Amino acid sequence: MSGGSFFWSAGWARFRKNPRAMAGAATILALYLVAILAPVLTPYDPVSHGDLPEMRHQPPSREHLLGTDKFGRDVMTRMLYGSRISLTVSFLAVTISVVLGSIVGAVAGYTGGIVDAVMMRMVDALMSIPRLFLLLTCIALFSRSLLLVTILLGATGWMGTARLVRGQILSLKSREFVSAAEALGAGSGRIVLRHLIPNALTVIIVSATLRIGLIILGEAALSFLGLGVPPPTPSWGQMVYEGREVLLDAWWVSTFPGLAIVVTVVAYNLLGDGLRDSFDPVQFT
Amino acid sequence: MARYFAGRLGQSILLVWLVLTITFFLLHLAPGDPMARYDDPEMDPETVEMMRRQFGLDRSVPEQYARWISNFARGNFGISLRYNRPVSELLARAVPNTLRLTVVALAVYIILGVALGVTSAARKNSLFDRVGTLAALIVYSIPSFWLALMLIMLFSLKLGWLPSSHMQSIDAASLGALELFRNRAAHLVLPAFVLGVASAAGMARYMRGSMLDELRCDYVRTARAKGLSEGAVLMKHAFRNAAIPIMTIVGLSIPFLLGGSVVTEKIFSWPGMGSLMVESIFTRDYPVVLAINFIVSVMVILGNLLADLGYALLDPRIAYSGEGGER
Repeated sequence: MSGGSFFWSAGWARFRKNPRAMAGAATILALYLVAILAPVLTPYDPVSHGDLPEMRHQPPSREHLLGTDKFGRDVMTRMLYGSRISLTVSFLAVTISVVLGSIVGAVAGYTGGIVDAVMMRMVDALMSIPRLFLLLTCIALFSRSLLLVTILLGATGWMGTARLVRGQILSLKSREFVSAAEALGAGSGRIVLRHLIPNALTVIIVSATLRIGLIILGEAALSFLGLGVPPPTPSWGQMVYEGREVLLDAWWVSTFPGLAIVVTVVAYNLLGDGLRDSFDPVQFT
Repeated sequence: MARYFAGRLGQSILLVWLVLTITFFLLHLAPGDPMARYDDPEMDPETVEMMRRQFGLDRSVPEQYARWISNFARGNFGISLRYNRPVSELLARAVPNTLRLTVVALAVYIILGVALGVTSAARKNSLFDRVGTLAALIVYSIPSFWLALMLIMLFSLKLGWLPSSHMQSIDAASLGALELFRNRAAHLVLPAFVLGVASAAGMARYMRGSMLDELRCDYVRTARAKGLSEGAVLMKHAFRNAAIPIMTIVGLSIPFLLGGSVVTEKIFSWPGMGSLMVESIFTRDYPVVLAINFIVSVMVILGNLLADLGYALLDPRIAYSGEGGER
C-alpha cells in the first residue's frame, strides 16, 4: 500500500473532527445494535397476530409505543425486526455490487483494447435503463424471496463501481510500482489483486457507502410495490404500504417505518460524505 | 462539432440496440412461461396452442429475437399478451400521461433547485444556508412513496385541498374548458411535487457549489469594486456562469425522474408508463415490458446527448476527442 498507516491515521483524525460524519457513524452503529438486540428490546412477536379485532389499529399507548397494525401486531416490534432486513439486504447487496463492479472495472481497465471497449459499452447500455426498470424487469422472471431481492439489488448496481474502478486502474497502471512488479515477473492477476485494487480501495469504499442509502431506498420501493421481501417478514417498505389504506384512522402504521427509512438513509449519506471528505479530499470535490 | 455529434448519435443508436438485446435475452432466459396463466382446465388446449403460435412463442429463441428486432426497427412493438391488443396502442395512451407528469416535475425541480441553491450561496453560512443544506440532504434521503403518503394524508385527507389520485375527477366530462384545466392542474400538484423535489435537492446542492466557485472569481470582485449592487453581481454576473451546467444536470437526471415516475404513478393512480410497467411485471406481459424498457432507455440516451450538447454549446472551451485543435 502506498501511503501506509499515516494515510489512515490522518484520515481518521479528520473524520473524528467532523460532527456530521460522527453522528452518521453513531446512528448506524446504534441501528446495528438494535437489529441484533431486537428480541431483547421488545416483548412482542413481529409476525404472529394479536387478539383480533380488539387489538387492530390501536393508537400509540404505553403498551404499544407506536401503536398496532391491522393484524394487531406491535408496530415498534416490527420496525425493530425490520431493521434486520434493511441492514442485511443493503450490506450484502452493496458487497455484491462492489465485488462485481471491481472485477469488471479491473479487467476492463487492465486489459484495455477491444475487451475494454466491449465491456464498457455493455456497462453504458445497462446504465441507460433506469435502475428501477432494470430491477422490475429482472424481478418479473423469478418468484419473490429475500435472497432474490438481495442478489438483484446487487446485480443491478455494479455499473457505477465498474466505471470508477476502471478509471482508477487506468491512472494507476502506468505508475512505477506497477512497472516494478511487472519487471519482477508478477502475473497480471497478482498485479490487479495485490497492487491495483488496494490502491483504489478508498474510492471504492466511499462510493459503496454513498450507494448503501440508494439500495435501502430501492429495497423499500420494491417492497412498497409488492415485489420485495414477501410478507409476513417485516420490512419497512412493506409496512408503509400496509398503512396506506388507513392513513386517516391509523396514521402511525405508515408514518413510523417511513421515518426509520429516512433516518437510516440520512445516516449512511452523512457517513459517506464524511469518509469522502476525510480520506479523499481531492478525489471527489 | 457536427462530426462530433454525428459520432455521438451513432454511439447512441448502438447503445439502444445493446439495451434491446440485453433485455430480450434477459427475459427469454427466464424460467417462467408467459402462457402459464392460461393453464386452465376450462380452456381448450388447441386455443392455447394457437395463441402460442400467434405470439411466436413456439419458435426458437434466436428466431424470435431476429423477428422481434426487425419488427422493432419498423416501429412494430408486438401484441400485448394480456390485452391482446397492439403494444403501441397501450403506449400511445400511457406515454403522454407520463410526459405530462414528468415535464411539470422537471419545472418544479429546476425552479426549486436553482432558487434554493442560489439563495444558499448568496447567504453562505447563514441560518438559511445551514438549514437549507441539511434539508436538501434529508429530502434526498426520503423514500418518495412515503413522502407521497404523508402529503396525501395532510393535503388530501385532513385539509381536503388537493385530490389524492387520478388525472382528473370522475365528472370531468361535464366541466367547461377552464374548469377542466383547473381540475387537471389540481390533480398534478402533489405527484409533480413528489417526483420533482428529490432531484431538486441534488440540483440545489450543485447550484450552491457552482455559485460559490463563481463568487470567488476575480470578475465578481471587479463588479463589486465598480459599485454594482449585490443583486446585480449575483444575477447578472455570477449566476449566468454558474447556470451553464444546468442543461447538463437536467439531461443526466432523466433516469432518476423516469425511475421515480414508477412509484409516483402507482401511488397517485396515474395511468402512465410506470403504472403500465408494474402491471405488466405482475402479469409477465413481456412485449409491453420490452417496449417500455426501449422507450425509457431511448429517453435516457437522449438525455445524455442533451447533456453533452449543453456542455458543448455553452462552453466553447470544451475539446472534442478526434477533432484535436482543428476548430
